[in-house]
Amino acid sequence: MTAFHATRQLVLRTLAAVVLIATLGAQAFNVQAGAREQAKRMHDRIAGVPPSAQVLEDMEALIDGNDAVGAAELALEDPAFYDVTLKNFVAPWTNEAMSPFVPLNDYTATVIGIVRDNTDFREILQGDVVYVGDSSLGLTPYNVSNNNHYEQLEARVNGSTVSLSNTGHLVKTEQSVVNQGELPTGATAGVITTRAAAKAFFSAGTNRAMFRFTLLNHMCNDLEQVADVSLSPDRIRQDVSRSPGGDSRVFLNNCVGCHTGMDPMTQAFAYYNYEYDGDIETGRLIYNATGDTNDTSQVSGTRVMPKYHINGTTFEQGYVTPDDGWDNYWRSGANRRLGWDSNLPGSGSGAKSLGEEFANSDAFAQCQVKKVFRNVCLREPGNDSDRTAVSNIVTTFKQGYKLKDVFAETAAYCKGA
Amino acid sequence: MTLFSGIRTSHTLLALVASALLITGCGGGESTEALPNTSGNNTTVSYNGPAPDTNDVLNFKRNVWDNLATQDKCGACHNDGGQSPEFVHENDINIAYAQANTIVNLSDPSQSEMVTKVAGGHNCWLPSTTACVDILTTFIANWAGGSEGSVKTVDLRAPEIKDVGDTLSFPEDSSAFAASVYPTLTTYCSECHTSNGQTPYIASADVDIAYEQAKSRIDLNDLEDENGDMVLPEDASSRLVQRLWSDNHNCWDNSCPDSATTMLAKIQDFIAALGEPEPIAPELVTSKALNLQSDGLLANSGGRFEDNIVALYEFKFGEGQTAFDTSGVSPALDMTLSGNVGWVGGWGVQFGPAYDDEDLGMIRAGKAQGTTDDSRKLHTLLTASGEYSIEAWVVPGNVVQEDARIVTYSGSATARNFTLGQTEQLYDVLHRSTTSDENDAFSTENNAMLLQATLQHVVVNYSPDTGRQIFVNGQPTGDVDPDSPGLLTDWDNTFALVFGNETDGNSPWEGALRMVAIHNRALTPEQVQANFDVGVGQKFFLLFSVSHLIDGMEESFIVFEVSQFDSFGYLFSNPFYIDLDDEAAPSGVPLKGMRIGINGREPAVGQAFANLDLTLGEPEYVPGSGQELSTLGTVIGLEEGPGVDEFFLTFEELGSGVNVRSEGSLPSQPTPEDLDSVSTVGLKTFEEINASMSKMTGIPTTQSAVATTYSTVKQQLPTVPDIKGFLASHQMGITQMAIQYCDALVEDGTKRTAFFNGFDFNANVADAFDAAGRSQVTDALLANFIGTGLDTQPTNAEIEIELNGLIDTLAVCSGDCSDPVERTRTVVKASCAAVLGSAVTLIQ
Repeated sequence: MTAFHATRQLVLRTLAAVVLIATLGAQAFNVQAGAREQAKRMHDRIAGVPPSAQVLEDMEALIDGNDAVGAAELALEDPAFYDVTLKNFVAPWTNEAMSPFVPLNDYTATVIGIVRDNTDFREILQGDVVYVGDSSLGLTPYNVSNNNHYEQLEARVNGSTVSLSNTGHLVKTEQSVVNQGELPTGATAGVITTRAAAKAFFSAGTNRAMFRFTLLNHMCNDLEQVADVSLSPDRIRQDVSRSPGGDSRVFLNNCVGCHTGMDPMTQAFAYYNYEYDGDIETGRLIYNATGDTNDTSQVSGTRVMPKYHINGTTFEQGYVTPDDGWDNYWRSGANRRLGWDSNLPGSGSGAKSLGEEFANSDAFAQCQVKKVFRNVCLREPGNDSDRTAVSNIVTTFKQGYKLKDVFAETAAYCKGA
Repeated sequence: MTLFSGIRTSHTLLALVASALLITGCGGGESTEALPNTSGNNTTVSYNGPAPDTNDVLNFKRNVWDNLATQDKCGACHNDGGQSPEFVHENDINIAYAQANTIVNLSDPSQSEMVTKVAGGHNCWLPSTTACVDILTTFIANWAGGSEGSVKTVDLRAPEIKDVGDTLSFPEDSSAFAASVYPTLTTYCSECHTSNGQTPYIASADVDIAYEQAKSRIDLNDLEDENGDMVLPEDASSRLVQRLWSDNHNCWDNSCPDSATTMLAKIQDFIAALGEPEPIAPELVTSKALNLQSDGLLANSGGRFEDNIVALYEFKFGEGQTAFDTSGVSPALDMTLSGNVGWVGGWGVQFGPAYDDEDLGMIRAGKAQGTTDDSRKLHTLLTASGEYSIEAWVVPGNVVQEDARIVTYSGSATARNFTLGQTEQLYDVLHRSTTSDENDAFSTENNAMLLQATLQHVVVNYSPDTGRQIFVNGQPTGDVDPDSPGLLTDWDNTFALVFGNETDGNSPWEGALRMVAIHNRALTPEQVQANFDVGVGQKFFLLFSVSHLIDGMEESFIVFEVSQFDSFGYLFSNPFYIDLDDEAAPSGVPLKGMRIGINGREPAVGQAFANLDLTLGEPEYVPGSGQELSTLGTVIGLEEGPGVDEFFLTFEELGSGVNVRSEGSLPSQPTPEDLDSVSTVGLKTFEEINASMSKMTGIPTTQSAVATTYSTVKQQLPTVPDIKGFLASHQMGITQMAIQYCDALVEDGTKRTAFFNGFDFNANVADAFDAAGRSQVTDALLANFIGTGLDTQPTNAEIEIELNGLIDTLAVCSGDCSDPVERTRTVVKASCAAVLGSAVTLIQ
């Protein structure tokens, strides 16, 4: 190691040279991009790594042949697209801090698998699906009470011998199978009912976090953007003070805006909880199936988790949750702009149907495209040309809900001139 | 006639009892009566007449006569030979008893003539008539002896039938708004509140969207007050003004008062442009109208346990600097308000922090304090019993204040008999006894977030049996007093009772007190629950007449329990439908979409009954009891105050009235503004850098040294691709990664041979970098790291110049070349790292 340290000292001393090269590199981007440069950029943006010489040649040829999307599809074959780009694309969705520095987990792996296998992307909010490491890798099996399986898998991923892109390494199964006895098929709702999501958004609290972060990550709207004070507050639970600090104006002008829509939809998660004893890392998702009941001071014998009835004396005349029936109040008022599917009823029971409600909205499709646009183009859609491109890509996406199409189309659009 | 009764009638319709409240007319003599002499200190009277004939006479004497016979109360006039009735006859208690019986109602003390006479303005001995009324009621109730938990019946009587008054309403067209308020909004609020920004979209580029969003934030009463004077910013109810005036929310020109004044002026321009009030829209299906104070039926039905109250504060007076002790236990421990204290609508006082007033200078934090003389009764009565309960309805102003005293009976910050305080989300109880240190807090730590900044009922119990217990909202907190039970014999009788602060003024509490009661017995858990269930504040039943909408039902009403929730809102709860004719019952009457109206308009916010959809009729409807419509409650914003605001109900459908409402089409979204153009290049982020280096060098990311270094520097690497976010620390992390990868590459014989094809790693540094050797190194680096034929990369010549310069520098030994062969590898590693860690591989 002595030699290594000597090298480090030497190189650090010559950092000026490195910086100079860095400068040169940055300046070089002012050069007009030809097909080869476009191919390089597309590959970098999609896979996060440079292409091999052969792939670069092939992509260049496709671009020259006016098939930029085809070139992008070549880049999508790079394992790094799954092992690096997609993993870090999804990781911030799996925790409240929205940090990318979290270990691989069932949420991330499931989204990667769904994209890789060209599965209808709407399944991420409604499917009975989870992706796990194949048993041939010799990993500790999936465990509902820890994340060891995925952390071991991530430690093995090296882009060549083990990769999430490999259908023999990351394999599809059902949540109702890996969580047998706890989660029936009807209670599965894609990533919403993964262990990682439960740990992040069903632990403690009132389950409103799951609603907010699903809205944020998959509808690209935070509550502030969808607040609507004019809807009926009849489903706002008892735990919300109607006079915070003795001033009901705060409730009437602020709190109510989010809770009118949020509370009747969060009711879909009334039977879920993330249960742990001291160490949140060893907790698990629990679901009150038929016959599982809880008693609270307000109601007894329902399947509703007690967290839905906490602080019931804060406003006794508030709503007492009796079941997991949800209603989408945002089908009225300003939030009609989210484009709800008129073929769906706008109400239901449980997380699965709420996930379906979200996944079939225009906002969901637009959100996926905008997220990919940001990831690939490194900016927000910022002008008419960008907005038209996004609109067109949304149309393409809706034809089969294949997210790889979105990456390819977007990379082709942002390949440069 | 139908009566409505119950303890906390919130959730159930209770049995209705037929009877009538008979209030006899007041006796005459107002024109000749003498005023009592209240100037002296005649607070005691001795009785030397015949003994009471019965126990009831004795009860009367103890509870009524002893309290009222003094010269400063009724004894100055209604005495022997004085004005009739002589209910404080000083020479014969039995005569006084007989006379008193003619003016009391022992089954409903508050309806006694003795009480209603004073309530009507007859010689209250305090500045507050309500205080005298409450005290008299207490005296009579104590005489009646059945006060504990007693429940009154409330008579449901038809109010005066009034139509909904004329009102201003928002025009459908946005032109008036566009000409008045809108320009101000777009000028000052468009940085955030456009259609693509934060809600509300009051500064949307589309004026119709802005108008729709602004409606609920403009109060059409903000033009003139009831005296015809222009409303001032501090009194304005429009949220657009309040946000500037009260919340200092993004004011402009460095002045919130000026900003608020400007905004209000524009709103007043808008209101003025609407013309005169007009009748309510004819298509609306409405009930008849009611005012809370003039039409509401008092719904407080009693049921509180107050047998052992020694001091009681209900804060009903609403003005002045005194909060009266209405317990009826002498001496009255009245509290003097000082500093930043205000009265809360619907009964209560609000304690605020110290602040600097432009005119008055520094205003101290709020405090309410009794005299030490009057406070001594707490010492006397509580030490005599050896136990106590402090009961309070509190609204903590926030959950971050510490060392804040809510109710304290103390002499200084460190000397007390008892204290109820707040530390963030904990209630603290400090108490002096033979076994408890007066400065050791006993807190609600069993639930770390029990204290909420909302209305809460708090009871602190102390008894030698159980020690200290805390109840919040009727439930014990589960905290166990660590001290063994003791005696109150060490209590100091020179302390003072204080609310909202410490005696020294240095421990202010921000929040509101809606009621405080001090009992000299510990309440039982059942009594605590019962007192919590009764609630706090004045409650009314409002009977909205809907007979005109339902055929064949002549006395039909929708009844709400209504109270002033705080200074800014009303609570409407537990609506039910009833026809006062017990013989009548509706059948199949649809009721759909009920909304509450105020002053001729439906407020946009708070319509919790808008989704109601049910049918009035049996079996849900029970004659005499009615039919429950909802168990919910909702808060409606206060506009002009409970004496002025006029309420009504509207329906989408009720009986024969139908008003189908349809939502307009969604306005088209305005085209977003174009964003500034951004760099087309970005940084690779942490894992992309790692993967890129791995791919370029052929060293797997799982190589142990590489994996270790990556784990160490991962969070030091770029996390976002924005080129503007590039930091020197990023470069340091990247360099370490590059060095590690190049070290792994050069130290791996097979991989380095494949990578630097032909280069002699065993040659001395002096020989290795001849022209051929250099070329083998630089060509390999250029081919593998830079790529070929890419115009976006620097030219090979440019890089070769840099690399050759680097090799020249490093190849020259300066005394540390003990191993010239190792030096060769080091130079290659350095050259490799210089390129690998540079922008040519890190920019995407």
